[in-house]
Amino acid sequence: MTTKTIDRSDLPEVYIDDILMSLKYFADEHEAHLKIIDPQVCINCKDKPCLNFCPVGAYRTQDGGTVQIAYQACVECGTCRVMCPPKNVSWKLPRGGYGVSYKFG
Amino acid sequence: MTNKEKLSFDVIVVGAGLAGSTAAVMAARGGLNVVMVERGVTPGSKNYFGGALYTHSLVDIYPDFFSRKPPLERPVTETGFWFLSKDGMVRATVQGGKINSNPIDAYVAQRAKFDAWWAEQAKKEGVFLIPKTVVVDFIRENGKVVGVMTDRPDGALYAPVVIVCEGVNNLLTQKLGLIKHDFKGNATALAVKQLISLPAETINTRLGLTGSDKGLAISVVGDVSMGLPGLGFLYTGNDSLSLGVGVTLDALSAAGIKPYELLQRYLNHPMIAPLIAGGQLMEYGAHLIPEGGWSTMPQLYTDGVMVAGDAASMVNAMHWEGTNMAITAGKAAGETAVEAHKKGDFSASTLSAYRKRLENTFVLKDLHQYRNMSRFLHNHPEFMDVYPNFLNDALGMFFTGFGKPKKQLYGDILKSLTNRRPLLKAVGDIVAFGRTVMGI
Repeated sequence: MTTKTIDRSDLPEVYIDDILMSLKYFADEHEAHLKIIDPQVCINCKDKPCLNFCPVGAYRTQDGGTVQIAYQACVECGTCRVMCPPKNVSWKLPRGGYGVSYKFG
Repeated sequence: MTNKEKLSFDVIVVGAGLAGSTAAVMAARGGLNVVMVERGVTPGSKNYFGGALYTHSLVDIYPDFFSRKPPLERPVTETGFWFLSKDGMVRATVQGGKINSNPIDAYVAQRAKFDAWWAEQAKKEGVFLIPKTVVVDFIRENGKVVGVMTDRPDGALYAPVVIVCEGVNNLLTQKLGLIKHDFKGNATALAVKQLISLPAETINTRLGLTGSDKGLAISVVGDVSMGLPGLGFLYTGNDSLSLGVGVTLDALSAAGIKPYELLQRYLNHPMIAPLIAGGQLMEYGAHLIPEGGWSTMPQLYTDGVMVAGDAASMVNAMHWEGTNMAITAGKAAGETAVEAHKKGDFSASTLSAYRKRLENTFVLKDLHQYRNMSRFLHNHPEFMDVYPNFLNDALGMFFTGFGKPKKQLYGDILKSLTNRRPLLKAVGDIVAFGRTVMGI
């Protein structure tokens, strides 16, 4: 894979929360299907690519150190499961009937 | 085991997507008692695609498919490529002629609606559907799979054969050891899409369609992926447009780009924005695509288990095929389950007939032929960057070169290629691409 510089000048800023309003979820208030395994591992993770690659922006950091997951926004794609460099995400499917529920697909 | 009666079936199908519901109905037609377990509220509610379905696979399962009033969107009457430069576009699409078949080859669809309907057809033939239920593990006796454990209380289900159609996040397939590694970031794409509603008339006018019974399926190449290995797409629904972009995970992560910003950039493109102006966002979503195909395919069967669909990496990214492979594979798995019951033997050696069936179809033939494609595109990002831009420049110059001596014009056109990529390399790229497509 050749890494080259990418012109980001025309990359728009998007407020993902506005876009997520179009999605229907059955939120599981009792059980988080995504968990950070060891918070310290995230603090030590320099790049934190999860803050970018998650398609619903569920991974957020307040202070640049600890990472939190808004699992209620998850669309269960699996990107973080594969791409978290230290594999620090405990990734399960939501319990039956919970999670994202596409209306159109 | 308690004294409670075991919930036993002839076949368990995990996942009520296209592969699952097809496997289930074929098994039911063979007289088997089939249960299908689906984690969504309804079949399809976890599924998200471009996208179009291919008629050949649908009528193969239900010869009276169209008279059953399936929930389809527009037929694909025009298809091809749009090559985007930063501010322009070359369209290479085909319509009429071979595309104008009866029935039309492909139909745009929405999976939440279609998969629910597809599962409903299977239920009509006796398949028992359990929704809102996750299969979390297998039940083994003497090392052999004899059922599945679900996340319901007392959630054990028993059957001598399990057909796993769990989708791209193939946790169960991995649990069986049918594949030794998780899927790979260089052979898996993340696709994000917005479904945007617009009046049918507006869609017709903006896309040059002569009526609402005409529709587009477009692969968008070039500026849409910012030079990353990936593609955009556009499909026409009845009164909606579906626009998305898919990029290889490794490249996306390395670039540090947010997928929804990449998508918004595509929607802002000067050639795209006017098409969707005034539209209303109906739904956003994201899904992984196991583009590795052959290179990330698990072993397709073991004692008491077969795997079909995305879980088995059955995707031909170059041709946007996957749903048809899932249906054809589901059919083969269902038929093999029937055969196994006739023999009363569910060993890997009996179930190997599933793979043999698939070897005689386009599924394994194509996946084998295209086995190097995802790696090729990953290593040749110029197909997403250099060539679409060159094409725009070349045609742009060709049609504006008036008053310029044509020899100079052709020189300029050649230069717009060689400035980006040396000629010998370009020739090499084309040859390499051809070899990859041909699978040699």
